[in-house]
Amino acid sequence: MPILFLGIPLLAVVVLNLYTWIDRRSAFFAALIASLCQLVLAAYAVVRCFTTGEAMTSTFFGTVTVDLISAVVLFMIAMICCVTLLVAEELVKSHRFTFGGTMLLLMMGMNGIVMVRDLFSLYAFIEVTGASSFLLIAINRKRDELEGAFKYFLMSALATAMMLGGLTFLFLLVGDTSFEAVASYLQTRGGEHPTLVTAALVLYTSAIAIKSGAVPFHSWVPDAHSSAPSPVSVVLAGIVIKVSGVYSMIRLYRDVFGFDPRLGQVMLILGLASVIIGALGALGQNDLKRMLAFSSVSQIGYIVLGASTGSAIGFVGAMMHFFNHATFKSLLFVDAAAILHETHTRNMDEMGGLAERMPITGVTSVIGLLSMAGIPPLSGFWSKLLIVIALWQISPWVALAALVSSVLTLTYFLVLQKKVFYGKLNEKLAHVTECRGRLRFVELTLAAVNVLAGLVFPVLLMLLRGNGML
Amino acid sequence: MVSPSLLLAVVFVPILGACLLPVTGRLSAKFRNALAFLGVLVPFVALLSLLPDALSGTPVSLTIPLPLGLSFGLMADGLAVFMALISAFLGLIIVLYSYGYIAHSPHQGEYYFFVVLFIGAMMGITLTTNLIFLYTFWEISAICCWRLIGFFREKEYVRRANKAFLITGAGALIMLGGFIAIYQQYGTFDLTVLKRKPISDLAVILILFGILSKSATLPLHSWLADGGVAPTPATALLHAAVLVKIGVYVFTRLFVVNFEISQVFHVIVPVIAAVSAMLSAGAAIREDDIKRIIAYSTVSQLGFIMLGLSVGGELSLAGGLLYILMHAVSKAGLFLCAGIIEHACHTKDIRRMGGLFKQMPVTAVSFLLCAFSVMGLPPFGGFFSKYMVIAGTVEAGQPIIAIVFIISAVMTLIYLMRAFMLVFLGEPRETYPDAHDATPTMVASVSLLAVLSLVSGLLVATPADYVEKIVTQMAVILK
Repeated sequence: MPILFLGIPLLAVVVLNLYTWIDRRSAFFAALIASLCQLVLAAYAVVRCFTTGEAMTSTFFGTVTVDLISAVVLFMIAMICCVTLLVAEELVKSHRFTFGGTMLLLMMGMNGIVMVRDLFSLYAFIEVTGASSFLLIAINRKRDELEGAFKYFLMSALATAMMLGGLTFLFLLVGDTSFEAVASYLQTRGGEHPTLVTAALVLYTSAIAIKSGAVPFHSWVPDAHSSAPSPVSVVLAGIVIKVSGVYSMIRLYRDVFGFDPRLGQVMLILGLASVIIGALGALGQNDLKRMLAFSSVSQIGYIVLGASTGSAIGFVGAMMHFFNHATFKSLLFVDAAAILHETHTRNMDEMGGLAERMPITGVTSVIGLLSMAGIPPLSGFWSKLLIVIALWQISPWVALAALVSSVLTLTYFLVLQKKVFYGKLNEKLAHVTECRGRLRFVELTLAAVNVLAGLVFPVLLMLLRGNGML
Repeated sequence: MVSPSLLLAVVFVPILGACLLPVTGRLSAKFRNALAFLGVLVPFVALLSLLPDALSGTPVSLTIPLPLGLSFGLMADGLAVFMALISAFLGLIIVLYSYGYIAHSPHQGEYYFFVVLFIGAMMGITLTTNLIFLYTFWEISAICCWRLIGFFREKEYVRRANKAFLITGAGALIMLGGFIAIYQQYGTFDLTVLKRKPISDLAVILILFGILSKSATLPLHSWLADGGVAPTPATALLHAAVLVKIGVYVFTRLFVVNFEISQVFHVIVPVIAAVSAMLSAGAAIREDDIKRIIAYSTVSQLGFIMLGLSVGGELSLAGGLLYILMHAVSKAGLFLCAGIIEHACHTKDIRRMGGLFKQMPVTAVSFLLCAFSVMGLPPFGGFFSKYMVIAGTVEAGQPIIAIVFIISAVMTLIYLMRAFMLVFLGEPRETYPDAHDATPTMVASVSLLAVLSLVSGLLVATPADYVEKIVTQMAVILK
């Protein structure tokens, strides 16, 4: 069954290209059908992996495997792609055909990253994901879109070059690139060539840090996010940088390199720096999307912090925050898309009191931001709680630092609300109307997911405990 | 014994009911207003029916077990029901008063939503037996406070709302750090499991940050003076009479009833309280804005409450609890009077008022009665609580702190009498054509509170009995 996750998007691209002779407008439709199929399949995979506790494998020019983590991430990919396509259908006016097709390729690339168990295939799928992201960012070929895409492209090329370097070292040593072979080599004979192994580890870590936009490699994140067309920033912030960055990191450290306290310390520093510097960066922005992009850097820092602890609670917290960040950050970018569409500006100083005219966008943005700031009972609180509990076991001071950084999140939440939604309506914006149709549907759905995920969280904990994961 | 599911009703009827209010408001404003009242009345009545069990020492409780020490529990012991009843009662008055006050403003649905949600959060804070859910309700109350202070969306109000949210939010996050420190020590957040456990000084200090910020005690008090002058007196009242009590309540719940803390905190906290009471009383004397005077007075009186609860000893503890009741009633009265005055004169500057006694006699008398209670004149309610707190402090062997508080009490007398004289007595400095007693519900709420301030003193035996029972229950636990 796992092969379907690669097959469906590919098939959809092929069908799309045949079908266009009849009707070019069908691009979104095809992409949407594909992502809905994946949503259903992934939901099934989650349930199946959870109940049986076994991974599903299929072989097709190589092995692809879906275990519980992969299944959850596949579900998230489908969800965010659905959201993006719904938003895009409303907002993307030109190059619609290319957009639909590229989205399908992006989806396939991410699915591949999630399912492969081989270092070289991982590299290849990261490149597929990267290439389709550049295309999507620059789809309108405007100046700042091209600039953002180019910046992303440069950083990404650097990252993949490093990854390839690390891959070469490991291949040199092991003679095989599958996770299993590399892991067993490192475990039994890793001490024979410490320099090469360390070099590979360092290269991989830096590459992934670039891909996930962790400090100090974060400079491309705000540019790429803010200049990209609105729907593209939703998918970028919502899932792409997490799958190609954070997910690969968790996967590699769990399955290949194995957890090592020294590595944990490096990640701890990277994570803490991202949390703090990202939040400070967000505070300084006037551009709505740039602010949200900086906050992504900060939130990804929390995920890295959770993973850096190496404990079960930390890991579950990191995965939960992964999921929560995907929902609330895409919600916030959808809100930003609605605002940008109505006001034609990203500059927050030109906004004000928009909640009067756009009440649904206003309320959903409050929910998303509160969830991000870790205010209970919303979903973001629980994942942060688990991460902080896990951190406390490592060092109380780091945990306190992570907690106090939430005050910074709270601060830019207040700044954003004050400048954009809360307050007297700016007269220039009197003509603004609330978004309609699909955008409104998406906003409400994602906000509901945030609230409900927070409310059922204790139940989820019980399930995980029953399954022996906590 | 009543059914434990009643406890769920106390917490979740207002919280879920609040969510209905903005929707029903679209159908009919009257229906919505009635529903808002009902949303507060239900927990009030339910609490009354829980009262006998709470007093007999067999509290009703309910637990939903969850992993990681996150079990959701509610318990209605004497202390919880005492605090919850005060809050629900004031909530009822606030809703009634709002009918008149808010009738002509936009966003009424939002207003009632946050008021009722706040009462629900307050019920949750008082009844919950789990630290994480305590934090949850605590933050919900902070969000309500944020939206209510900035309710009229003026730039200045939004700024003040943000300030209040940031200070209390930051305090709460640090407090959460303290909770996690406890969790690391014992592996649970469940207070029923953590009974009489000693906790580390670090945890106490971290939690104190949250408590002091919420109770607007020095040095984290500045949001109340700004936020307390919030646009609607109803919200100001919500903060001054109910919200700030969250801090002192949680102090009692955690540090007096539940945990063992180092002896040194029985000195540190009273000293903080003393400084807070003294300085803010001084600030109240210097202020000319009537609501700021009352807000600073709240900060000062909270020092008294904190002293009573923290100094140790049964007399002062009983005094502190009684003080919560007395202060809530009379300070609520003062705030509502200030609201009526502001409504009538369109200014908050007391130097520009004067001679208003003739135009608004009922308000003036109510103001005076409530002020007497806050000052602590016999036979008003405030006298008994103030006496018990200060006598308890002397008994606990801290006469110097007691003296500081007596000085602050004298200062209370000065600033409240100054405000009363400038506003109501003397020659009118400006003419206020539409200065008169406000709508019947507003005046009724004010005079009810004024009468209560007096009656609670005359019939002090009833609440004192109640408080004594709570304290004996605590003493049983303490031993």
